[in-house]
Amino acid sequence: MNMNRFLKIFFLLALAICSFSARAAEPESDAQAAADQAAVAAEARLEAEAATEGEEQIDAKKIIFEHLGDGYGWEVPFNHHVRIPLPIIVRAKDGGFHVFSSARVQHGEVYASSGADFMIAPEGADHQGKVVQILADGEFYRPLDLSITKNVAALFVSMILVIGLMLWLASWYKRNGFRSPRKGLGAVETCVEFVYNGVVKSTLKEDAPRFAPYLLTAFFFILGMNLLGLIVVFPGGANLTGNIAVTLVLAVLTFLVTNIFGTKEYWKEIFWPEVPLWLKVPLPIMPVIEIFGMFTKPAALTVRLFANMMGGHMIVIVLTLLIFIFSYMSPVAGGLTTVVSVGFSVFMLLIDVLVSFIQAYVFTMLSTIFISLAQAKAHGHEKKESVAKAIEDALV
Amino acid sequence: MELFAPDFGLVFWMFVSFGILFLVLWKFAWPVILKSLDQRADLIDKGVEYAQNAKAQLDNARQQAQEVITDARKQQADMLREADKMKNQIIEEARSQAQQEAQKVMDQAKLSIQQQQKEAEQAFRDSVSDFALQIASKVVKQEMADPKAQSKLVSSLLNEMEGKN
Repeated sequence: MNMNRFLKIFFLLALAICSFSARAAEPESDAQAAADQAAVAAEARLEAEAATEGEEQIDAKKIIFEHLGDGYGWEVPFNHHVRIPLPIIVRAKDGGFHVFSSARVQHGEVYASSGADFMIAPEGADHQGKVVQILADGEFYRPLDLSITKNVAALFVSMILVIGLMLWLASWYKRNGFRSPRKGLGAVETCVEFVYNGVVKSTLKEDAPRFAPYLLTAFFFILGMNLLGLIVVFPGGANLTGNIAVTLVLAVLTFLVTNIFGTKEYWKEIFWPEVPLWLKVPLPIMPVIEIFGMFTKPAALTVRLFANMMGGHMIVIVLTLLIFIFSYMSPVAGGLTTVVSVGFSVFMLLIDVLVSFIQAYVFTMLSTIFISLAQAKAHGHEKKESVAKAIEDALV
Repeated sequence: MELFAPDFGLVFWMFVSFGILFLVLWKFAWPVILKSLDQRADLIDKGVEYAQNAKAQLDNARQQAQEVITDARKQQADMLREADKMKNQIIEEARSQAQQEAQKVMDQAKLSIQQQQKEAEQAFRDSVSDFALQIASKVVKQEMADPKAQSKLVSSLLNEMEGKN
């Protein structure tokens, strides 16, 4: 019953996005569509020729970074030329905003949008792979780019998924009072309880209700993005938490929450810590270190989540690419590598499911600890000791 | 490298979507969920406490019942013993009374038998002496027809009397 509802919601979501993309693609004129098709056909022919010759060397690095990076349009399985079109939103040099479908520039075409020409910068040029405006003198100008790229669309999917799950859970409580949910919803509840009681409440104690909404939101958003990233086809597949922009925003938010709600004691410990006087008077050594520490904390948050998730994705891509590299050398080696690589990929993806959870958990836990450090009360030492103990417990 | 340079568009949309997510969940989801979790935890704690109390009370009641039962048993045993004693006593009393009564009856019977025996003996004596006298008189009449015999008898009787004395 619950599962059915979940699937329904999921499909509705997918449909909504598809229809949105389709509508974005609609205004394309017939002539343009014909031209597109011709271009696609030509390219396909060229590639087919290259493939029959068997001379094309695989550029592993390019493929890896293509898959790890962002893109206009969302890939579909089994076809490299068709992409689900997504809206491109750019601010041209003259200040006017232009909105058009990514299908219009997908294969290197130039799109003329009321007085400004746009295209995706070709390989080797400046701003390679990004939408650029072609100025009158032929120079590329990188406009302010607020496009709904693949990553942004995946961001929205995760957001809607998390909102849906949590509202569903909330409505369960409204309808069923004290009964605890079963099956899928029960798992969501278990996660909420795990984070709230295990991380937030045990570290922040009486301050927990103030910070729980932010920390829980962060946890489930990260978890949703991580898990969606592991689904290879359409609604997933974007390497979101392995993108430094996403983790940077999350870390900045934790930094803001930590410092905006920081107590007087916290600021005193930064600018006038309880250390021998010579460490702070002629040369403010300790305050400098403390201020430096304020910024290294979010930096660590950014990099650890980014590197962990990107690493997981990269390993799976490299394992897959090994098949093609070895096939290029000899068919037998290729066949053997296929077996080994697929086995390892499945194994790595399973590990990544675990890592998705662990990374979301670690991000939330570290954020909680940073916030609780900034909630230092007058007897700072006890608090620090208890936090140190909490860290120790968490690590064990 | 592109991978390490945050893209402005993505940063912007990340802020927007996190903001939307946070506001929606903060307003509609977290208060309800966290309140329900806390309330349920409280309810469960209370339930456990209640169950523990109930169990203690039940144990207490069971113990009391046991005590009452033991008491009742003891009382019953006492009563039985008492009744037994009473029964024996009554039987004993009845027996002794009956004996006394029987004794009395027997004594009376003995007495009357003795009396009757005495009376019978007396009557017997009387009648025997009557007979004897009659016989004697008859004999005497016959014997004493001869005056010599009469004087001989008188003298023998007188001899006898002398001899006795």
